[in-house]
Amino acid sequence: MALFMMRSTVRIDRLTTIGGYIAGFALLFLIWHLAAVYLVKSTLFPPPMPVLERGWMLIEDGILQEQIIASLRRIAQGFLLGSAIGIPVGLAIGSFKPVRWLLEPWTEFFRFIPAVAMITVSVIWFGIGEESKVFLIAYTTIFVVIISTAAGVGAVGRDKIRAAQCLGANRWQVFGLVALPATVPYILTGMRLAMSNAFVTIVAAELIASNDGLGKMLWDARLFMQIEDIFVALVALGLLGFATDRSFRFLIRAFAGRFNATV
Amino acid sequence: MGFVTQGADVALVSLQGVGKTFSGRTGAWEAVRDFSLDMAEGEFFCLLGTSGCGKTTVLNMVAGFEAPTAGRILLDGAPVERPGADRGVVFQGHDSLYDWLTALDNIGFGLRLRGMGKAERRAKAEHFLRMVGLTGQGAKHPSELSGGMKQRIQIARALANDPRMLLMDEPFGALDAMTRAVLQGELSRIWAETKKTVLFITHDIEEACALATRIGVMRRGPGGTLKAIVPVDLPFPRERTSDEFMRVFREVHGLIHDEIHGAH
Repeated sequence: MALFMMRSTVRIDRLTTIGGYIAGFALLFLIWHLAAVYLVKSTLFPPPMPVLERGWMLIEDGILQEQIIASLRRIAQGFLLGSAIGIPVGLAIGSFKPVRWLLEPWTEFFRFIPAVAMITVSVIWFGIGEESKVFLIAYTTIFVVIISTAAGVGAVGRDKIRAAQCLGANRWQVFGLVALPATVPYILTGMRLAMSNAFVTIVAAELIASNDGLGKMLWDARLFMQIEDIFVALVALGLLGFATDRSFRFLIRAFAGRFNATV
Repeated sequence: MGFVTQGADVALVSLQGVGKTFSGRTGAWEAVRDFSLDMAEGEFFCLLGTSGCGKTTVLNMVAGFEAPTAGRILLDGAPVERPGADRGVVFQGHDSLYDWLTALDNIGFGLRLRGMGKAERRAKAEHFLRMVGLTGQGAKHPSELSGGMKQRIQIARALANDPRMLLMDEPFGALDAMTRAVLQGELSRIWAETKKTVLFITHDIEEACALATRIGVMRRGPGGTLKAIVPVDLPFPRERTSDEFMRVFREVHGLIHDEIHGAH
């Protein structure tokens, strides 16, 4: 009975959340509409309906999907590459003092050089092909993931490690069965932060050097003064970022939420 | 040297002139000085003292978490050098449980470290889950359990690993008085059932009188050491309102009285 009640409240919570999202977006579009029609009254700030119509047209022509997929593919590749490097490096920094002494200056140095500032070098090194964009996304991902992973290792409770030791765990078992799973929520949180960085970076990179993607779409629309297209790209970015972040939060909840109330 | 039981060859644990001095930026702090004690197999020894008297430091040294800076600690005649599966520890807080594992998997954690198969591990964990009175709660995660239940899981986890002895560091200190009394009763029953040797740290006189076969009263730190040992020959389960119980309580209370007043 108690379990059933718990489940149904969870379902009601979820419905409320989704209802809130829909209402929130409706309100945003309403304010946008009012601002455009009654306040700004300029062709440079179109109301939502023509933008959505234009967006639908671009979808029917298959153009919008193409740009979205191009951008998302780069984000996914760079993000996975950056995480694949950042997680083990973060674990090593958090676990071994010499590694920390050696590598912490690197992370503290590079994280203040924004990926946007690295666009020029990356284009010189990798050209305007896929590699430069993947490099930039990976670059922007790595340091956030390293820092939160290392912080996570440092935050593993002393008693958790001691308990494993007096249950007979060797060093590797302590690492693999205690430190690693205890760090997972921190890793996922770092990846979630890195993902929003990746969205910022991909647009900047595609603005400057690309043949497709949402950033390129923004750039072209500016050149040809297709104001609706600019707004389509902006709305698409916002929705994609929102959807990605929600799915990430869902993943964190599913895998780690049970033992991390802060998510 | 003081309180060494007759015939040192029967001692399971032997602390011989053990001392521990911590050195930090603010200078050295002598937590424990010249601490000697022999514990026989199967006894329930309560180490009783005010906060800051060094009792937890003694436990940490027996557990192997910290090395003594003087004297030596022998377990079965061999010096203690590091933590090991022969000494199961129940921690004061429940932060030592693994939040990502179910209650049952927490209990079976030590067995998993030894490479025991899943089915056998499960059966054994179920047995200890039943022993601590949590039948049917095995699939829950620690975050879904109350403070008292978490301490039960800790006890089951330590017992499932079948250690030579249990080290318990104020395991019921954070619980409300009613839950504490219930768990004390259960621990007595489990101790009688498993015949484990227990070193139990507490600052609660009544708790010590209810559980122990011997109570070691510690002198206030710095340089905390054993002041006296009081044998408790009362039968289990202990009747806390009985005259005999009150007599032991008064004796221990008298011993610790000086330590309490002036320990702040």
